[in-house]
Amino acid sequence: MSVVKIIVPKAKKNKFAFRHSLRSVRYFILGKEVDKGLIFKLLLYLILVSTSYIYLNPIIQMAVRMLMNAKDLIDPTVTWIPSSLYFGHLSSAWNILQYPKSLAISIAIALSASVLHCISCGLAGYALARLQVPFKKVAFFLLLLSFIIPPQVIVLPTILFFREIGLDGSLFTLILPAVFGFGVKGALFVFIFRQFFMTQPKELEEAAKIDGATAIKFYVKVMLPLAKPAILVVFLFSFVWTWNDTYMPRMFLASAEDVPLATQMSRMGTSLDAFIDSGGFPEYVAEPIKMAASFLTILPPLLIYLFAQRYFVESVERTGLVE
Amino acid sequence: MAKKRLMTAKRYSRLEGMLFMAPWLLGFMIFMAFPLVFSLYMSFNNVKVLPTGMKYDWAGIQYYKSILMGSAEFYDQLIPYFQEVVIMIPVIVIFSLLIAIFLNQRLKGRFLFRAIFFLPVIFSTGAVLQQFMDQGESGLGFMNGELVGGFMDAYIGGTPWGKPVLAVLENFVLVLWYSGVQILVFLAGRQTIPATAYESARIDGASPWEVFWKITLPAMSPFILLNVMYTVVDMFTFPSNPIITMIGTGNYGYSSALAWIYFVIVLVFLVCVLLIYSRVNRQQRM
Repeated sequence: MSVVKIIVPKAKKNKFAFRHSLRSVRYFILGKEVDKGLIFKLLLYLILVSTSYIYLNPIIQMAVRMLMNAKDLIDPTVTWIPSSLYFGHLSSAWNILQYPKSLAISIAIALSASVLHCISCGLAGYALARLQVPFKKVAFFLLLLSFIIPPQVIVLPTILFFREIGLDGSLFTLILPAVFGFGVKGALFVFIFRQFFMTQPKELEEAAKIDGATAIKFYVKVMLPLAKPAILVVFLFSFVWTWNDTYMPRMFLASAEDVPLATQMSRMGTSLDAFIDSGGFPEYVAEPIKMAASFLTILPPLLIYLFAQRYFVESVERTGLVE
Repeated sequence: MAKKRLMTAKRYSRLEGMLFMAPWLLGFMIFMAFPLVFSLYMSFNNVKVLPTGMKYDWAGIQYYKSILMGSAEFYDQLIPYFQEVVIMIPVIVIFSLLIAIFLNQRLKGRFLFRAIFFLPVIFSTGAVLQQFMDQGESGLGFMNGELVGGFMDAYIGGTPWGKPVLAVLENFVLVLWYSGVQILVFLAGRQTIPATAYESARIDGASPWEVFWKITLPAMSPFILLNVMYTVVDMFTFPSNPIITMIGTGNYGYSSALAWIYFVIVLVFLVCVLLIYSRVNRQQRM
């Protein structure tokens, strides 16, 4: 910042100097802006650290409890640090979840849904943002509508529809809507793409038009490579939300044998009770096993997130996620 | 001649637009329009699933009547949840706005904090949250203490709004966990405010407090609306909310009627939010 020199009459100089030093002290403590100043910084760290703690508390609890052995679990003096690491709960959860199989199913479904979402929602978002579509306003309204309709309103006829075409209980029921840009929060993904494509410069298309490129060719060759941030955001959202979704599988795969991991986990309660009733486990291990199962369920998306977090945040800022 | 070619060019570009929209429109027909109309039809029918197929007996508004006037079960589930949502929305939106502004500061370890606050985007759906709730890790520790908890119970436990307030406080960590996407939206929104706006305010001698109310907040107002809408939709479609658990696959006619009533209520709620927003916004502009 440039310093503005003020010429002051001599008599008043003292007073000003005093006020000046007072101000610099005030600036040092309170800051010239919201983001400067000692007190503010300290307060900021205090708030961020404590809310981070509140945020992380359930996860840490989960991780700690699942590694405690039976003795630590019933010992009330052991709350945070287990006396020894015990991996028995993890391996029980691994078996009950049928981890390798469920994991493969979850990966296959989440991956294909997110790839398909990127394709279909990208096309629709691009059309809504840049192309001439007859009744565009109506189409946009329909998009809004499909965002706010609770999935519960339409889930029963969808079950009947799947039964009619012979997909009842099949894993394809979870992928098929994504082909058309529906499925878990599909409308939101169209919005994200639309917002992104609206921020791109208009001249791009004009240049392509002069070159005589078709819209499809232009989209694939020019727009898609530019849309990397939007694709990353939609891909990650879609992957994670499809991964975690238990509602659709519960509705569509009510009696199916092969289900994704999150569904397997929410079904686990009953099978655990059966184990306990048959004398396989003492009762107090049910909770750590459930926690181990939660941990195993969120582990893959967590790993992806840890890897992609940095790009992800930058991408969100660049997508212009909203108006 | 030239005019004719212009017409065909226009038609051609419209065709291209349609081509891009086609998959989504087809999907809309299959996965939205058809189910929507069909569930409306089912809600007026007594649906029986027979081995040979479905059997529909016209039931009129019988289900609507029995849900809305037959018993208090619907209201018993809806009203407390509704109250909770009304309290949670401002908490979530204000919390995520604050966190987004904080995360936007130049801080050491900003990336670490960002990573932590985006974690809910990964978890905040499905079975894991339920697991947290079952663990009893969703409350703030001090709320369970004799002093605060007892005080709260004694003074607001009995009032009609006391119970939902307590319920929200009990699951306060969860409320914070719901705000992952909202923080992202606010962070993205904060980037749209040009740095020059802050610079000129500083030159004019505005205090941080004034800068927040005069620049940050007005510029964020569309994002606030967006987040309120997103939160409302998210809360009302959350699979573990009590109304949604009432919508089962047992009785198709009854469940469809319930789903439609629920949808209309959510819609009315959204319209109210929009009206309030435009009211407040207009007043601010003037």
